Amino acid sequence: DDVVPVQKEEINNEVALARIRENIQLDGSIPWTETLTVSYPHTIDVDVNDDLNRELAFYKQALHSANHAKQLAAKSYPNFPWTRPSDYFAEMVKSDVHMERIRQRLLDEKAGIKKSE
Amino acid sequence: GEEAEVPVAKKRKNKQRVLLLSSRGVTHRMRHLMNDIEVLLPHVKKDSKLDSKSQLHLLPELADLHNCNNTLYFEARRHEDLYLWAAKMPNGPSIKMHVQNVHTMDELKMTGNCLKGSRGLLSFDKSFEDTEWGKLTKELFTHIFGVPSTARKAKPFVDHILTFSIVDQKIWFRNFQIIEKDPLAPNGPPQTTLVEIGPRFVLTPIRIFEGAFGGATVYSNPEFVTPAAVRTAIRKEQGKKYNIRKD
Repeated sequence: DDVVPVQKEEINNEVALARIRENIQLDGSIPWTETLTVSYPHTIDVDVNDDLNRELAFYKQALHSANHAKQLAAKSYPNFPWTRPSDYFAEMVKSDVHMERIRQRLLDEKAGIKKSE
Repeated sequence: GEEAEVPVAKKRKNKQRVLLLSSRGVTHRMRHLMNDIEVLLPHVKKDSKLDSKSQLHLLPELADLHNCNNTLYFEARRHEDLYLWAAKMPNGPSIKMHVQNVHTMDELKMTGNCLKGSRGLLSFDKSFEDTEWGKLTKELFTHIFGVPSTARKAKPFVDHILTFSIVDQKIWFRNFQIIEKDPLAPNGPPQTTLVEIGPRFVLTPIRIFEGAFGGATVYSNPEFVTPAAVRTAIRKEQGKKYNIRKD
């Protein structure tokens, strides 16, 4: 059913796109702590096939945004719970069993490197 | 007595709920990606598979039934290609995207972890502001991937960040754990470091429709080539090589 396209149609109705966005846009009076969204002030200009530099660029974006968000949180809501106390225990997205497998793999890798040295 | 009526400053809330479901024919790997998204987004309501791929118009009704004002719908084709629809309910818009380069949280290479139900930060790179489709996508993703403070299963504390970056006309997704301590100086001033949690995936926008799973096309990506066409081209290329060798 998928046919190789001869010429791809290009549609970019900017007026409609802007109108739709305005229709669904969140109320500007919503406090920042409701969305926790930050804009990174840079574009990611890397060779997409260069895995190492691409991932480094994403890491930089995340680090910059995390630090920026922390400032925003402190400013907009002084008691916003940011850092988890070390005695706060709750279920994690990866189970203890899964984390143990990750740890074991790291150990195996290290052992492998030692062996080959 | 004179009692001045104190105006109650009602705090405005971001109320979002997301219906998450897939078509029939999703593979093991696709199901794992869906589970990852479900575990990271406590405001998601997962529903069972949609029976027929031609019944997309049922989705707004289904979302309404579950009190959801957003839908994430994973559509599997030929048991190898995966598409993702992100849509605002009940009136649209809907963005249809092709999903590639999937790595799930199961993989042992990503060593980060975070609380189940903690609200992730969202980060969008500057490219989203360069185009109207980018701005609209950013707005919709803020609704869908941002965990509302009122989500029933939401937990306090910020311990992870979801990043969205446009590179090569595609949207790259990453999820990092935020660590506040410097592992080399545990007693020194806190310093932020990150460890990747997963999942990873890349989304190529294909089309944006004005309505919910339908309506007028307001954006169509001319660069998008269907994965089937890509495979055909690769086969042709291989055939050509063979013919050259044969001659």
